[in-house]
Amino acid sequence: MNDIGEFALLLALATALYGVVSYVIAFRSNRVDLYLSADKTPIIVWACVMVSSIALWRAFMANDFSLQYVWAYSNIDLDFFYKFASFWGGQKGSLLFWTLILTTYMMVVHVQNRKQNLRLVPIALAVMMVITLFFLVLLNFSTNPFERIPLPPEDGRGLNPLLQNYWMVIHPPTLYLGYVGFTVPFAFAIAALLTKNLDDGWIRLTRKWTLVSWFFLCMGNLFGAQWAYIELGWGGYWAWDPVENAAFMPLLIATAYLHSGMIQEKKDMMKVWNMSLVLLTFIMTIFGTFITRSGLIQSVHTFDEATLGYYFLAFLGVIVAFSVTLILIRLPLLKGKNELDSFLSRESIFLLNNLVLLGIAFATFWGTIFPIVSEAFRGVKITVGPPFYNQVNVPIGMVLLALIGIGPVIAWRKSSWSNLKRNFTKPVSVAAVGGALLFPFVPLTDKSEIFTYITFILCIFVTTSMVIEFMKGTGARMQAHGEAAVTALSGLVWKNKSRYGGYIVHLGVVLLFAGIAGSQSYSTEVEKNLNIGDRFQLGGYDFIYEKLLVKKQNSTKTRVIAQLGIERDGRRIWTGMPEKEFYKGQNQPVTEVDLISTLKEDVYMILADFNPETSAATIKVYVKPMVKWMWLGGWVIAFGTMIAVWPDRLEARRRTERLKRQEAIFMPAQE
Amino acid sequence: MTGANFLQLILVVLILVALGIPLFSRIPRKRLFKPLDPAEEEFKHLLVRKEEVLLSIKELEFDFKTDKISKADYAALHSKLEQEAMDLLEKIDDLEKRLKKKKKTSAAGTA
Repeated sequence: MNDIGEFALLLALATALYGVVSYVIAFRSNRVDLYLSADKTPIIVWACVMVSSIALWRAFMANDFSLQYVWAYSNIDLDFFYKFASFWGGQKGSLLFWTLILTTYMMVVHVQNRKQNLRLVPIALAVMMVITLFFLVLLNFSTNPFERIPLPPEDGRGLNPLLQNYWMVIHPPTLYLGYVGFTVPFAFAIAALLTKNLDDGWIRLTRKWTLVSWFFLCMGNLFGAQWAYIELGWGGYWAWDPVENAAFMPLLIATAYLHSGMIQEKKDMMKVWNMSLVLLTFIMTIFGTFITRSGLIQSVHTFDEATLGYYFLAFLGVIVAFSVTLILIRLPLLKGKNELDSFLSRESIFLLNNLVLLGIAFATFWGTIFPIVSEAFRGVKITVGPPFYNQVNVPIGMVLLALIGIGPVIAWRKSSWSNLKRNFTKPVSVAAVGGALLFPFVPLTDKSEIFTYITFILCIFVTTSMVIEFMKGTGARMQAHGEAAVTALSGLVWKNKSRYGGYIVHLGVVLLFAGIAGSQSYSTEVEKNLNIGDRFQLGGYDFIYEKLLVKKQNSTKTRVIAQLGIERDGRRIWTGMPEKEFYKGQNQPVTEVDLISTLKEDVYMILADFNPETSAATIKVYVKPMVKWMWLGGWVIAFGTMIAVWPDRLEARRRTERLKRQEAIFMPAQE
Repeated sequence: MTGANFLQLILVVLILVALGIPLFSRIPRKRLFKPLDPAEEEFKHLLVRKEEVLLSIKELEFDFKTDKISKADYAALHSKLEQEAMDLLEKIDDLEKRLKKKKKTSAAGTA
């Protein structure tokens, strides 16, 4: 099976090469026979990569340690789920997994566009095939997951214990689905530039792809934060680590594009801007991959054998040079036709939102590459830590939050001051009252707490403006159609899925902001050296250290657990079990925190150290308010995105009618 | 030849057959698409613009109903968009008539 898996990768490479050449020649020479032949390649390449992936999965499940990759990332005692997830635990497998997702997307694009959009799709598929080709070259000649060990050992080295968490099964695939998904809009954008089909057709074709990729990247980031929170045992969820930043930047740029793309569709303007944003989003995904796999930056997220820097740097260079040149050449064709009707319009707010998002992306980019730049020019590697990012991004983030609330209140095209005043009165008043009510309860001793207080007020403002938006829409519908409130509300959302789905996403973002602000500013912590029976207090909770347990889980894993009784108002509410896990062959133990999580706050317990002879232990406890709001925000975002991408019958009918009308006039292409 | 080699050979043959069939079979259509017809492109573009302008009118009405735009601005923008829609419809009708006529003429010529 390993031979077949390895051979399938070679076949995929050869077929992809044929695919690129045949798609391009078929398009240029306008030949159907060659196109039909080329059009088999997405399926064949996908099938080959799938065979290869199944072969690797089989090797993990069968403990086939003749493969160096399986030996390095698995062992006999590893749980089934982790064996499944070990596939993407290292560099080689993760590249194969990336390629599997990419070829799957390519196949879906191929199926979606069979016999239509033929002036664009062959070239878009050729572009996707070129990108696939790059990954297949790496897999075949540089990081082959089927590399053999001449004398296979009896057991493997095992998966890094930090990765042995259920999030390992969920987080990387989600993140990759997002990262790789941006290849589709990129491919269509390049195809539009190459074929000069520069109306908004390519945006319409890829709008849902962008939205779905954005969603996966957003959820991937959130899942990663949750994983870091419960696994790394430092009480935080986001450290502005270069790899985290690398996943955050494309998200910001894609968010900007999702907003400005609407303006191009509505008003046929901002073509250069949108094109640049799409290309930049993809470039940042490759930059992220470069960061993770180059070994240039140290991070807990980078791969052990990070040796692919030069390949990715070269690939990145080619993409950037090609994209910029292409845009410059097509600049005369990318001129927009309309101008802003007024600076006081939703379009202007979207433009401002774009600038703010790009501002955060740029600051994050600068902080990420600054250590490399400083080392290159001054020979000293300067670490850029959270204080820099917080200082720059927090105020800009607050402006962004305010814009989320201002946008819906302003009309498309043109608004007047008197309407604005009227529409802002309620949300501003509610925010002011909310701020006044919060005032006695929130500490305002430093800049961070003042920012948090302002963020809470802005959250109230945005939520109120959203609720009013829903109420006004429902009211208008009730009046126009004579419907009951619930029917009118559901009808309103259902008939305007992208608009109201988007508003729900914004509500999720508000929860995220509130959660981040609350948990960052009002967190309290204590670290105590305790003997059995000792007590301490934090945040209204009483903690009693009851005992130290040692459990041998299996032949490779031993757990040391500190049992804590937790009381509130004299009543026992929880038994805390923070622990350290020791894995055979690993020098460092893994910290497993215990958590009481409510909407109000999280009680986060860590066993920092222990003495097995005296049973003394060092316990660290954080009480972090509102952490759950962030995770809840993620689910609200998921719900909103689902509504926004739900197929729209009206739009489909319009498209069919348009096509029918075109076909009635234009003969199909017959020789 | 081992079983794995045999399977590899089968895979190669299958792929070559799949890729080769379209190249060696009779296909009624020879061209992937017609040469770029500026009229067709214009027609497509006009249809999309028309839809967008009609949607904008609906949105403008919604914004007016929800009190986001003043009466004067609403009236001015509405008539501007209406005019834009009328112009587009006129252009679409003209183009459609011309193209149908051209199609009839070329069909008669061929007969």
